[in-house]
Amino acid sequence: MTVAALRARFAEAAGRGCFSPFFVLGDPTAEETVALARASVAAGASMLELGIPYRDPCADGSAIQRACQRAFAAGSTTDRALETLAAIARDCPGVPLNLLVYGNLVHARGVDEFCREAAAAGASSLLVPDLPLGEDAALVAAAERHAIGLVRLVGPRTATARVQASASGCVMLYVAGVQGVTGAPVAEERGRLLARVATATAGSVPLCAGFGLSSRRDVEDAFAHGAAVAVVGSHLAELIARCHAADESPVGPVAAAVRELAVTDPSIPNP
Amino acid sequence: MTANDIEVVPQFGAFANFGGRYVSELLWPALAELADASRRVIEDQAFRSELRDVLRDWAGRPTPLTAARNLSRRAGLEIWFKREDLLHGGAHKTNNALGQALLAQRLGKRRLLCETGAGQHGVATAMAGARLGLEVVVYMGARDIERQATNVERMRLFGAEVRAVAQGSGTLKDAINEALRDWAATVDQSHYVLGSACGPDPFPTLVHRLQAVIGEEIAAQFAERAGGQPDAVIACVGGGSNAIGAFSPFLEDPAVALVGVEPLGSIAGRPTRTERAAPGLLHGARTLLLQDRDGQVEPSSSIAPGLDYPAIGPEHAALRACGRVRYVGIDDGAAVAALRETCRAEGILPALESAHAIAFALRAAAAGELAEGARIVVNVSGRGDKDLGILQQRGVATTGGGA
Repeated sequence: MTVAALRARFAEAAGRGCFSPFFVLGDPTAEETVALARASVAAGASMLELGIPYRDPCADGSAIQRACQRAFAAGSTTDRALETLAAIARDCPGVPLNLLVYGNLVHARGVDEFCREAAAAGASSLLVPDLPLGEDAALVAAAERHAIGLVRLVGPRTATARVQASASGCVMLYVAGVQGVTGAPVAEERGRLLARVATATAGSVPLCAGFGLSSRRDVEDAFAHGAAVAVVGSHLAELIARCHAADESPVGPVAAAVRELAVTDPSIPNP
Repeated sequence: MTANDIEVVPQFGAFANFGGRYVSELLWPALAELADASRRVIEDQAFRSELRDVLRDWAGRPTPLTAARNLSRRAGLEIWFKREDLLHGGAHKTNNALGQALLAQRLGKRRLLCETGAGQHGVATAMAGARLGLEVVVYMGARDIERQATNVERMRLFGAEVRAVAQGSGTLKDAINEALRDWAATVDQSHYVLGSACGPDPFPTLVHRLQAVIGEEIAAQFAERAGGQPDAVIACVGGGSNAIGAFSPFLEDPAVALVGVEPLGSIAGRPTRTERAAPGLLHGARTLLLQDRDGQVEPSSSIAPGLDYPAIGPEHAALRACGRVRYVGIDDGAAVAALRETCRAEGILPALESAHAIAFALRAAAAGELAEGARIVVNVSGRGDKDLGILQQRGVATTGGGA
């Protein structure tokens, strides 16, 4: 999916709300991640956020760290994660795939080579949480060269001028509604922050609400405050963990959770 | 040089191609604020004078420079020990923890959080927090908590809360991950007292500045006691805070050889950590890092918990690249032997970390690494009381017994 198509897709989804689950590629196995992605789209997800397993995911909470550990236990590598991504792209055509990856995995391949491979595997956009605005010049250039969308993160302490600078050149702005890592308790501030970011960016970029969303109410609330996309990650990772511990397939329970979380206006047909 | 050396060039706090501020946006505003504040406050006369007074009256600076006469004879060198083991708390960590705690107080923070490996930085932060009336939370790897039980008790006595980190390898790297998470969530109230010369900008610069007192004292004391400059300054390097402090005033003087001693773990004669490392991003900095082909961080190993870290600080990476500092390796066995020898010959029990630097000094003349009779300063970064448990396990110290 090209950046232009991605922008069009977000514009189309705006006003309806685009729900995205987050999965770690390879959690609990590569095959099951593909099945989880397919089942989520069937259950109403209109975007997927996928993470490459990392051993030191300090921008994530412990639920995601454990998800990474399950993926490693099943033999995950960056190559295998990109293969899994490619399989999802084949099975879920037209669904934007936002790839979350830590900077050292990008650095180890070379920023340009990583962006080339991620784009070839079918990622429509890329968020590298530890390459922030100011230290991301190489990433910006490589993403543009390989026509993969750039996603930046802003938080409650990001000043308005920096929010505006972050939005520039992005296909989506990821708004971390709670100061802290994913899976932390939900704060009242999310709505206020979304409103502030929406004002600062004046509709120039779709907003994605993430970090700490776990319920249908959180998702509805994010849409009501101007988010085009809402992501739930840790909550689903915990569900996968419970299934994995009980030696059961996570696909059914996760699909049911996504169906509950994916809020769609019944008057607008599902994409 | 690989392609990524060209592509990724740090913009903030750069030491040549190393350093930078590679953190989540959630931490960026706090680091930007800290960078501004530390530039302003650290050079402020009132702050410097308060820090100097507390370092003197509470922490016991200046620490002595001791002639190690018996070891000098054996090694064929003139060895001087910089006695950071005599600093309050038992290690050089107090210089940095106290400085950052005072800075945090000026920034209006009520809570200090830190990571610790050997426990010395945790103890130093706990002491500084108690002195300044700040709440302290210490993150420590579960494995290190077992290895350094005495220091855990000391932190608790000073009123700190010690949180065990079981994730990953249960050592320093994992404790830093957890401390960074806490900081991201509590940055309004908390200051993160990073204990080594690593991490995102401005920490490597801030820690260097606060530890430079070691080298400044070495320069003055050596001139007074021995005359002139030392031929070499030697210090152990985990992240590298005691080393950068000891090297600081000599960096511009090529007549003084600078040697950083890295842990080899249990394997004698293998390449050093930085020889096995490649440039990468860890804990907010671009530096030399043990990693696999994918960029997953690989575990380090050392008998000395304070050296058990898979990367060196970014300034050390740059000093290695330009050749100003030589980095050498010492294995666990040689460090333990040097610790024993220092106890018997000098009546000083150095920390296992510091014993790595001493071990290098003891073999340097024989190995042709330093000229016979060279006048050298070894930074004894801490005292070894904390290591008795490890020494007992290896059968070096005897257990229990009467008084």
